[in-house]
Amino acid sequence: MSSSSNPERPGPERGGGGSGAQLDLGEVEQAEAFLAEQPPTVEKALGEGTVGLRKSAWGTLAWATPGAAWLGFFLLAPLTFIVLVSFWTYEQGAKSGFRVEWTLSNYSSILHDSVYWNNMLTSFQTSLIAVAACLVFGFPVAYFLALKVQTLKWQIGLFILALAPFWTSFLTRSIAWTFPLMGREGALNKALTSLGIVDEPIAALGCSTLSVRLAMVQLYILFMITPLFFTLSQVDRSALEAARDLGGNWLRTFKEVILPQAAPGAVIGSIFVFVLTMGDYSTTRVIGCNKIASVGTIVNSNVELAVNYPRGAASAVLLVLALIAGVFVITRFSNLREEL
Amino acid sequence: MAVETVTAKSAGRAKAQAKAVRERRVDWAKWGLGGYFLLFIVFLYAPMILMGILSFQGIQGALTWPFRGPISTIWWESIVDPDKPNPFISHATEIRTAGQNSLWLSLAAGAIVAVLSFTLSMAFRRRFRGDGLAFYVIMLALMTPGYLLALGTQLFWSYMEQSTSIWRTVLGANVVWGIAFGFLVMVSVWNRYDEHIEEAARDLGADAKRTFREVTLPLVWTGLFGAFLFGFTLTWNDYDRSVLFQERSTDTLPLTIGGLTFTGAIRPDLYALGTATTLVSMLAIVLMLVAVAVRARFRGAPVYRVEEELGLGEGLRVSRRAPAGEEAG
Repeated sequence: MSSSSNPERPGPERGGGGSGAQLDLGEVEQAEAFLAEQPPTVEKALGEGTVGLRKSAWGTLAWATPGAAWLGFFLLAPLTFIVLVSFWTYEQGAKSGFRVEWTLSNYSSILHDSVYWNNMLTSFQTSLIAVAACLVFGFPVAYFLALKVQTLKWQIGLFILALAPFWTSFLTRSIAWTFPLMGREGALNKALTSLGIVDEPIAALGCSTLSVRLAMVQLYILFMITPLFFTLSQVDRSALEAARDLGGNWLRTFKEVILPQAAPGAVIGSIFVFVLTMGDYSTTRVIGCNKIASVGTIVNSNVELAVNYPRGAASAVLLVLALIAGVFVITRFSNLREEL
Repeated sequence: MAVETVTAKSAGRAKAQAKAVRERRVDWAKWGLGGYFLLFIVFLYAPMILMGILSFQGIQGALTWPFRGPISTIWWESIVDPDKPNPFISHATEIRTAGQNSLWLSLAAGAIVAVLSFTLSMAFRRRFRGDGLAFYVIMLALMTPGYLLALGTQLFWSYMEQSTSIWRTVLGANVVWGIAFGFLVMVSVWNRYDEHIEEAARDLGADAKRTFREVTLPLVWTGLFGAFLFGFTLTWNDYDRSVLFQERSTDTLPLTIGGLTFTGAIRPDLYALGTATTLVSMLAIVLMLVAVAVRARFRGAPVYRVEEELGLGEGLRVSRRAPAGEEAG
């Protein structure tokens, strides 16, 4: 009763297409007569229709070609090439540092390299922590923006305020994170010591795994908030009110109305954060002050320091396999393509 | 009559009470979450603001706190003006070249991203065989770590014995990254797009070309602009995809920033440069908002229509506060 909708309020459903269904019988007759009078037009229309149909396969092809060509040449070909090179032989001084001779030695040397696996494990841990932290800390933000902010103007304004840092360079943001904020002399330690919370500056804040993990949350949480915000803002507020009016408590409403709606957003966000943190290279390098390793920095050191492309490629392939496995696991939680 | 008035009055009071209770309950969660949101914004912006402040240090300026005064703009001048005599090395010349390179490259990438994500999304509107696979390829573009893509590109091009450069390889890799975002923007635009409009245009006698030009394009213009902006800003800020193709003369701004960071000679001019590139990115967003707002005015449409086109769609519309009719009743 209390939440009865106002007739003037724009409803959530699109303009009713059904209102035109009541045709006068006389009108139909008139139309038929009109059509009968002009058979050529009808024929032409029908003809165009079939031509249009036949055309449409070609049309689709035409629309798809430029993008497909670009993606093929700049995405699929390079990725295929990483796989190929990972099976080729490293040779110092050869053209591009390898020769075309099939071998498994790149993989076997990595498989026995405990440093690589340790880094893989650390990166994986970092990614999992980042995903969990982004979900936990990002959800209230998205929830607030989507369901608690009342006017559209504020909603958009605050959302853009939260989103704006995404448009600035990750490198710059990493630098801003590392030097002015963290570290022994950073603002955070200065604030903590002057407030008397700690006596000594915490050394672990700078150039450490802890700092890298905190920064990952800071840098990538927007990739979680954005999809969550979009899915949550599709929650019908009147459904929430209805749930409450029907006596559902907060927890139940949350579980049965909000969570199902938010699930696809959470899945997309988790994929983003997982993949971006796992494959990260420059952020770890800046924030870890070249001391912290991730899979990305391992690939880089193979390539830039050792100039061993086949080995770098092999470690990259393993990283991609880990990424695909992770994404596969995450997508099991929701059918994305249907939800999008 | 009198009885009726009384019942109406009491019913109205009960309604108002229920509403007050509801609002009090909502407020509690709202203000709590609002406070959290504020903290979040501080967490998000603090590093950049600290960096911005530190870029205005004096000649003694260092990388960390405390602020070593006096307040001055020497670090800003040192990245802008190559001729100004400085007691330290000025990178102004290379920064200027890098800025130009970055700007042209990002504009080109933005334009290509807009066109390609539009054409791709048009293909996806008509379902075709293998579109599921194609969708995964686009998702692959989103998920491939930038550094790996750069590595693959380098291997591929060196095997083809082609020379790599910013304009060949870096542009290609950045457009791939931008297409993924642009495509998602376009998909969400099409999902909220009413195809009956096109049907109507056809029924009224417009041929396919004319329908496309006069009906379809104007309606998805905002999405196209969004795709362009993604292409522009992602390229403007990219480091991972370009780092393997460094060449002094064609470096982009992020590469210059990276060079300043990793070579060790870090001074507050790095902060000034970082703040400057950030401001350009923010300016791009503001420009987009202005364009969207102007367009909304121009079309005389209610503001929420634009959000609809941007794909912020239905949810926002539903969430609009109901007109103040309830209180009157």
